[in-house]
Amino acid sequence: MADKKKIVYLQTSGTDTPERLYAPFILATTAAAMGQEPIVYFFIKGVTAVKKGEAEKIQIGEFPSLREVIDQAVGAGVKLMVCEQSCMLLGLDRGDFIEPAQVVGAATLNDIVLDADAVISV
Amino acid sequence: MTIGLQPDLILDARDLFCPSPVLKAAEEMDKLASGQLLRILANDQAAEEDIQRWAKRAGHTMIELRNEGRELTFLVRKG
Repeated sequence: MADKKKIVYLQTSGTDTPERLYAPFILATTAAAMGQEPIVYFFIKGVTAVKKGEAEKIQIGEFPSLREVIDQAVGAGVKLMVCEQSCMLLGLDRGDFIEPAQVVGAATLNDIVLDADAVISV
Repeated sequence: MTIGLQPDLILDARDLFCPSPVLKAAEEMDKLASGQLLRILANDQAAEEDIQRWAKRAGHTMIELRNEGRELTFLVRKG
C-alpha cells in the first residue's frame, strides 16, 4: 500500500448554491476508496450544507439526494468538521448538525491544513 | 504474459459513471485477499484513467488493461 495522504476539502458554499454541494463528498468518498484520508471542513456558509434536515431537501437532476451522498461519504470513513465561528456567525447551535460532523475551532482548521498533503476549496 | 490468468472476482461496472466504477471496485477488492485478481468491466470513458489511478494509490497492481471501442476491461491484482 502506498503511503496514505491527507486531503482537506474546504466547503464554503451553502444551501443557497446546491449545485456546489455534491463535489466535496463525491471527491472525498473516492479518496477514501483510494486508500487516502479525506476530511471535509465546512466553513462560513458551508456549515448550512450539514445542518440537520437540509441535505434531505437537496436533489439535483439524476443525482441522489445530498443526504444519500453524505451518508455514503460517512460510511466510507470521510471525516466531517464544522467551523464553530461560522455557526456563531449564522446563529446555528452546536447540536444542529448531521452525525458524525464534529464542531471544531480555528486552531483545528489551521492544524489540519498544515498537516494535509493537499487542500481543495469548493 | 497475461493470457490465461483467471480472476477471483468479476465486477461488471458497465453503465455506471464516475465515481461509481472506482467505488464498486474498492468494495469488491475488500472481499479479496492480497495477491488475488479482480476483473473490472466498464464503459465509462472516465474509468480508464480513474481505475488506473485508484489501483496505484490503493496499492494494487494493474495486470491488464484493454480498451476495445467503448468497452474497458481491467485485471487488477490486490496489493
